[in-house]
Amino acid sequence: MIKTYDVVIAGGGVIGASCAYHLSRRKDLKVAMIDCKRPGNASRASAGGLWAIGESVGLGCGVIFFRMMSAERKREAQGTAVIVDSSTPHILPECFFDFALQSNALYPGLHQEMIEKHGMDFKFERTGLKYVIYDDEDRLYAEHIVANIPHLSDEVRWLDQAALRESEPSVSHDALGALEFLCDHQVSPFRLTDAYTEGARQNGVDLYFNSNVTEVLRQGSKVVGVRTDNQGAFHCKTLINAAGAWAAELSVMATDLSIPVAPVKGQIVLTERMPKLLNGCLTTSDCYLAQKDNGEILIGSTTEDKGFDVSTTFPEIAGLVQGAMRCIPELKDVNLKRTWAGLRPGSPDELPILGPMAGVEGYLNACGHFRTGILTSAITGVMLDALVRDQPLPLDVTPFLADRFNLQPVGLKKVIGA
Amino acid sequence: MSPDPVIVGGGPAAISAAIELAQHGVRSTLLEEASRLGGVVYRGPLREGVELDYLGERYKDALHKLHAEFADIAHSVDVRLNHRVVGGQGEHSLQVLDPDERLQEVGFGQLLLGAGCHERSVPFPGWTIPGVIMLGGLQLQIKSGVVKPRGPTLIVGTGPLLMLVACQLHAAGVEVAGVYEACEFTRIAKESLALLNQPQLFLDGLSMLMYLKRHGVTVRYGWGVVQARGDGELSEVIVAPYSDTWQPDLSKAQPVMARTLAVGYGFIPRTQLTQQMGLDHAYNVDGYLAVKADTWQRSNQPHIHLAGDVTGMRGGEAAMLTGRIAALSILLQRGVLSEKQARAQRRVYLSRLNTIVRFRGAIDRYTQRGTRQIELPQADTVVCRCENVTRADIDLALSQGVQDMASLKMRTRVSMGDCQGRMCVGYCSDRLRESTGRQDVGWLRPRFPLEPVPFSAFTNACKDA
Ligand SMILES: Cc1cc2nc3c(=O)[nH]c(=O)nc-3n(C[C@H](O)[C@H](O)[C@H](O)COP(=O)(O)OP(=O)(O)OC[C@H]3O[C@@H](n4cnc5c(N)ncnc54)[C@H](O)[C@@H]3O)c2cc1C
Ligand SMILES: Cc1cc2nc3c(=O)[nH]c(=O)nc-3n(C[C@H](O)[C@H](O)[C@H](O)COP(=O)(O)OP(=O)(O)OC[C@H]3O[C@@H](n4cnc5c(N)ncnc54)[C@H](O)[C@@H]3O)c2cc1C
Repeated sequence: MIKTYDVVIAGGGVIGASCAYHLSRRKDLKVAMIDCKRPGNASRASAGGLWAIGESVGLGCGVIFFRMMSAERKREAQGTAVIVDSSTPHILPECFFDFALQSNALYPGLHQEMIEKHGMDFKFERTGLKYVIYDDEDRLYAEHIVANIPHLSDEVRWLDQAALRESEPSVSHDALGALEFLCDHQVSPFRLTDAYTEGARQNGVDLYFNSNVTEVLRQGSKVVGVRTDNQGAFHCKTLINAAGAWAAELSVMATDLSIPVAPVKGQIVLTERMPKLLNGCLTTSDCYLAQKDNGEILIGSTTEDKGFDVSTTFPEIAGLVQGAMRCIPELKDVNLKRTWAGLRPGSPDELPILGPMAGVEGYLNACGHFRTGILTSAITGVMLDALVRDQPLPLDVTPFLADRFNLQPVGLKKVIGA
Repeated sequence: MSPDPVIVGGGPAAISAAIELAQHGVRSTLLEEASRLGGVVYRGPLREGVELDYLGERYKDALHKLHAEFADIAHSVDVRLNHRVVGGQGEHSLQVLDPDERLQEVGFGQLLLGAGCHERSVPFPGWTIPGVIMLGGLQLQIKSGVVKPRGPTLIVGTGPLLMLVACQLHAAGVEVAGVYEACEFTRIAKESLALLNQPQLFLDGLSMLMYLKRHGVTVRYGWGVVQARGDGELSEVIVAPYSDTWQPDLSKAQPVMARTLAVGYGFIPRTQLTQQMGLDHAYNVDGYLAVKADTWQRSNQPHIHLAGDVTGMRGGEAAMLTGRIAALSILLQRGVLSEKQARAQRRVYLSRLNTIVRFRGAIDRYTQRGTRQIELPQADTVVCRCENVTRADIDLALSQGVQDMASLKMRTRVSMGDCQGRMCVGYCSDRLRESTGRQDVGWLRPRFPLEPVPFSAFTNACKDA
């Protein structure tokens, strides 16, 4: 028997689940979410930082990425007079700030709503994010960040050495101070995903777990449904691609175009439970640290281009551990409990890929959230809900459309390559 | 030449492999987390008599021979005691925590994993009360001779080990409050009964069953545990008749006074390392994961070998033989033996192994786990001790449509603690299987490090490179 829905969501990470939740709030649409957890799915691997400013200016998950990029650029720039270093912070475009900040503003309300309506607590915590400054280079980097975001000066605060020691007594006394982003907070990433999922289920969304979308059903340029490996076919008016790092595969099935989403591996380290050691989230030029609701401290994260590989590797883990001990010396007596790796759905310009694609009907993207999908899941859900209903959007979707890339039909590409 | 073969474990499987290699002139490195060689049962200082007799003459002789043989070749084995393997990242190195709590990487050309098995835990109301312990742990206590369990001691579980420990306890002067074997008497394998009825030196020539009978120790077949009670410490255990699927008949439940309860419902292979290394596994008949080995004891990675209880609990002698076969394969891979020579020697070991496997098979059939034991926990019974997750939490998650292990973990935090689910994964996967009707509900892949390691262990890691 063929199942019929208004909306089918392919992928049940934080993005798919947020779409499902937001679409189901009015309980007027028939929605199905189909998800098969693949090794490395990002939402379960994430740190759960809501670092709206921090990530937009290349800190948090971005810091190691930035270092990698700048090392690469340095190499490329060798022989020329141009040197790219800490004086060029990696700052994302204005449209991303808006996207991130609007999403961030939704969490306090969403947190209440999830607890009251659905009995799910995703552990939203107001923490702030402090960029710990060890040396002149770090300071220079911080100064450039501040210079680049004058409109956000209310959300930024400098801490000198004494102020840092007072607010974070465990931070190394070698640190000179910190730059704090006051509106950057944290959640438990898997609880957030579970809250959206369970809220959606309570609102009547049908969840199909352990099922893979294996084919997209099309009539001409119109997407009309999907086929799965073990639940048969689904008909729908709209298909949402929330397939995380695997989104390109699904876009090819739906449109013959391969959207440029590629896995970016991140490794993470977790300590045993501890009494409160950190008052807020920290980011340094080596790593970030976030003490979670149950006392464990999460230390992230690498940024690696290793395809779909999700193994943890000793040198990278050792690097994170050493970076963490440099920041919080007393960690040396603490036990490391666990490590893991996840795959961020990366896009070339680090912006997500949202909304329709030219010439394709019945299909919407909700992917490419790279290193901020937890933070931006809320606004993504809101936007996709409005897109499905053809209602006004809180933000202009244009900068996020897949059409910003010069996409070539996959078949054609093959011919050219041959 | 590639680095020496590395052997993980120091039990009968590992030792036998090291001997076979050395006898062909191949040095090996052996990593054992304990401070002595011997594995779970023979680790104690090898004193004569008491400890070994109960294992049966054949086993005892085999062991003496093993230790003597090892002494002969010990110079060609680099034995590293107090070295715990905490990770197997990548296909050619292990991460090892040394006695100074430093992490080292140990590279290998060939690897043999002989990590053995551990006891299966069963959650029931009161199982976390002080005084409730595992049977094997209790046996180690008696053997150490240092601490004695507080009597009266009640023994519940299945398999020949129950009677053995009961006799050992009684002989050591501990009051035994009874032995409750989950399997009905008529279904116990004749091989096992023969063992239980065989005269034992350490019991002054009596058989185990005779000894227990003579000393008035209650032995009940087809009975099992329902609940442990006590305020801060154990005072009473509720037992009841078990059906063949181990469903307790609560209408016939009875209390037994006890201060120690020893629980021994079987063993499961220690697959943490083999899983982390991404080797092929399959579900055993009992629903637990075991790593797959071929007739050369190779995993799906031909240079990584497996021997002993890691592939399923078959006892010490089988461990020795599989260790030897794995060594033959390594010798073949290194070109020390020809295919023909290796095969000829393997034939000898295999024929002995087959006899043991048949014997074990009989015991396995009656000690096979009854799955209805999953009904024991009550709503507030803690299932995951590390994270304090109760049965009610699991019930709620299942009612919300959770269908696989990883999702259950995320929803309830089961297995997120230090033990990485070693204790609760069995119960959880049984529940998932029951609620989804599917055989495969996923398993938790253990992460690096397999045991918590201090951050300071990394201080100098990877810095020389
Ligand atoms: C180490 C690490 C740390 C991070 N830290 C942060 C942070 O602090 N803050 C933050 O905001 N973000 C962070 N991120 C990024 C964030 O986790 C991701 O952007 C986000 O989780 C992406 O969500 P998603 O739903 O798109 O992808 P996923 O969570 O990967 O979900 C996609 C799902 O779709 C499934 N799927 C794919 N194809 C199919 C198919 N054909 N059929 C069925 N199912 C399919 C996949 O198996 C998967 O379950 C981090 C990421 C990593 C790896
Ligand atoms: C309580 C108990 C009672 C038993 N009684 C009997 C009996 O009466 N008769 C009988 O025939 N069999 C008995 N057995 C079974 C018998 O002990 C095993 O079949 C046999 O010891 C298996 O040998 P093995 O070499 O595979 O593993 P083991 O003897 O278990 O040795 C494995 C060794 O590996 C080490 N190790 C594991 N992981 C690591 C790591 N990550 N790093 C470093 N070292 C590691 C362990 O410390 C251990 O010493 C009993 C088992 C138990 C647990």
